Order: sequence, then C-alpha cells, then structure tokens
Amino acid sequence: MKQPIIKASDHGLAGCHTCGKVSPVELGRCPRCGTQLHLRKPDSIESTIALMAAAAALYIPSHLLPVMTVVEIGVVTPSTIIGGMMTFWRSGAYPIALVIFAASILIPLLKIASLSWLCAAAGGWVHPSPAALGRIYWFTELLGRWSMIDIFVVGILVSLLQLGNYMAITPGPGALAFAGVVVLTMFAAMRFDPRLLWDRLDQMSAAAPPHPTIPES
Amino acid sequence: MLSWPKPPGDARLSACHFCDTLHRFSPVEEGISARCVRCGGLLYENRAASLTRASAFSLAALLLMVLVHTFPFLIMDAASMRRNLTLTGAASALMHQDAPLLGASIILFTVVTPLMLAGGMIYVCLPLLFGRAAPGANFAAKWMYRSEPWNMVEVFLLGVLVSLLKLVKVADVHFGIGFWAFAGVMLCMAAALAGIDREELWDRLEVAKP
Ligand SMILES: [Zn+2]
Ligand SMILES: [Zn+2]
Repeated sequence: MKQPIIKASDHGLAGCHTCGKVSPVELGRCPRCGTQLHLRKPDSIESTIALMAAAAALYIPSHLLPVMTVVEIGVVTPSTIIGGMMTFWRSGAYPIALVIFAASILIPLLKIASLSWLCAAAGGWVHPSPAALGRIYWFTELLGRWSMIDIFVVGILVSLLQLGNYMAITPGPGALAFAGVVVLTMFAAMRFDPRLLWDRLDQMSAAAPPHPTIPES
Repeated sequence: MLSWPKPPGDARLSACHFCDTLHRFSPVEEGISARCVRCGGLLYENRAASLTRASAFSLAALLLMVLVHTFPFLIMDAASMRRNLTLTGAASALMHQDAPLLGASIILFTVVTPLMLAGGMIYVCLPLLFGRAAPGANFAAKWMYRSEPWNMVEVFLLGVLVSLLKLVKVADVHFGIGFWAFAGVMLCMAAALAGIDREELWDRLEVAKP
C-alpha cells in the first residue's frame, strides 16, 4: 500500500447515499441533493434484524396458505406455491419447476440467512471477512426482486382465467404473505450498511496487534 | 477523452459505498472506471457518450411503454371466450378479487417505477445535453435513483412466461405485441441506467445552468 487507508468517517465526512458527494456530516443535509447525511445508516443492524424477523415470520404462512384458489366446473382447489411447483415437476417441466423453487423457496431463505450472517458479522459475533461478505450483500440485493415472480403469476392467472362457470381463479392469502416476505427482505437489505463490516474489521485489527496489516486486494 | 465536468471547489473527494475509504477524485478517461483501493468496489466510471445514451434509451423506453399499455401481453382463447392480458388488467383483476394490495404492487413495480425511472432520466438528461438543468431536476434525479431497486420489468416478463406454460394446458395462448414491447422496455431501461454514472449525472447537474 502506497498510502495509509483513510476512512471518510475518520474526518467527520459522509458520502451522500443519493448523490455520492462527500461533505462534512455536521452540515446535516447534503448541499447538492438535500438528502440527510449520516456517517453510517442509523440503527442499521437493529432495523435490518427487525425487518428480517418479520419476513421470516411471514415466510411460513406464505407457503402454508394457498396463493390462489382454482374453481373449475364447481370444484374448488386451493393451490400453494410448493403445490404449483410440484405440478410442474410431475408434468416434466423441470426448468420451470426449478425457477419457481429458486425464486420462491430458495432465494427468500438465502436472503434471510445471508442477512443474519451479515448482521452477526457487523455486530462482532462472527469474524467479519468483508470481501466475501460484501459479495454476499451484493448478491442478496441483486436477487431479492426475482421472488416477486409468483405474485405476478397469480395476478396474470387471476386476470386471464375468468371464464364464467367453466373456470375461475381467485387470489389467496398466501400471495399477500409472500409479497410481504419479498418487500420486507428488500427493505432489510437496504437498511443494512456494509461499511459496518469494515469498521468491525478495523476495530478487531486495532485490538489485536499481531495482525496490523490490511489485506491487499 | 475527458468530457466529465467536475464542479469547482476545494474538496474533490469520493468515498467508497462499501467500506467508506476516502479517495481523492481523479478524472478518468472515457470507458475507464475507478475502483476502491481497499475493497475493489466501483467508485465511478466515465461512460462514453453518457448523456446521449441515457436520453436516447430512456426516450425509447417511454415510447415502448405506450405500446405496452395499448396492446395485450398474452391473448388467450378458451371456452369460446377471448381474454387479453395487460398490466392494468392484471392489477384491476386482483383489485376486484379482494386483493387490492397485490393489485397495487403490480401497478407500483411494473407501471409506476419504470415510468419514474425512464421519465426521470429523460427529464434530467435531455436538458443537460444543452448544459442546462431542468426545474426540479435534483428532485427528479433523487426519486429516479430511489425507485431503481423497485423496478421489476424483467421479473414480470419471466412471470408471463411461467403463466404461459401453465395456461397452454387449458387454453390456446399466444404472445401479443405488449409482451415484446415490454421486453424492449427492459433492454432500453438497462441501457439507459448503464449509460451514465450516478456520480457523473450529479456532477453535471451541479455545474449546469438552471
Ligand atoms: Zn447528496
Ligand atoms: Zn471500498
């Protein structure tokens, strides 16, 4: 390293979340765009954990309750997300079954797991390795939206399959719960501040002098 | 070529969004990106023909949105009935079936957000091409970037494909112009957003005449 690493927060400087301009934090608001300035997102870990816990609690009913109810010639069939996936799997449509499995079952669980890990690392309960964790953070931000696919499928089917007495589809309570999971995990990922991981790492290397060097990239 | 104006002032600094490492801002050539020395995260990138690309692609996205709302995504013939799928149709069907929040989320993520993104982009970038800032451009740019994570055009397109595979068993379904136009919206918006760096857009706004 040619020069020592200096953090903006060491000088009381904050990079604006909206426009990126670096300004002294005591200004309160960014002089360029008016966004509130913070050295770190306030209550980042607490609010991430709260939103994530709410998402995890909704995850269970979202898979137990039907996302839609099919009424076909008088026969009422409630359908869950997993049930819909199994139908595709049994009919041999494996790629679609896998897409639904990834978007509806795997991604929300992975998001909750990785955000818990990130919060634990930022809180100092597990060792932070920011390079790897940063990649996980980026990944969860990127993938989260794809879980909405099931909600869109319900909307499309409800809209198209209104065929009078022959066939009708109504949305079920599971769909609302699942939409809640997606939106809450997205908010949780936005509330998390990845800079806390580096702060924790710096704090740890300052406390333990045998490892004074910063890892080269 | 360096076409990125930097606002005058003493502190020309840039802080990494991931690790908060402070960097002295140094201009880069077109097509080159500056990365954080500590974590390797992207600081800023000087994109070639940034304003032209951002304006052109967001204008194209807006024009395609007219087609999206005029023509159906899917056309289905079943039980001697023909039904069309549109974005607003799907949302209003959900609202009529006692799921107003789900209907609102479809409107929000596939109609409002893309409109805010493409509309905001053209409102900010087109006057900037002539060195001027539109009235309220700062406000528009702020909300444009805030709406970005909620844009789910590509997710809806995949949802249409999954629905199609469910529907082919019960009915005769085929694609409408709306589907292809929406795919075009997805590509144009990706190109517009990748066309200009956030840092560059704000720097240009700061030096532009009102
Ligand atoms: Zn700002
Ligand atoms: Zn960095």
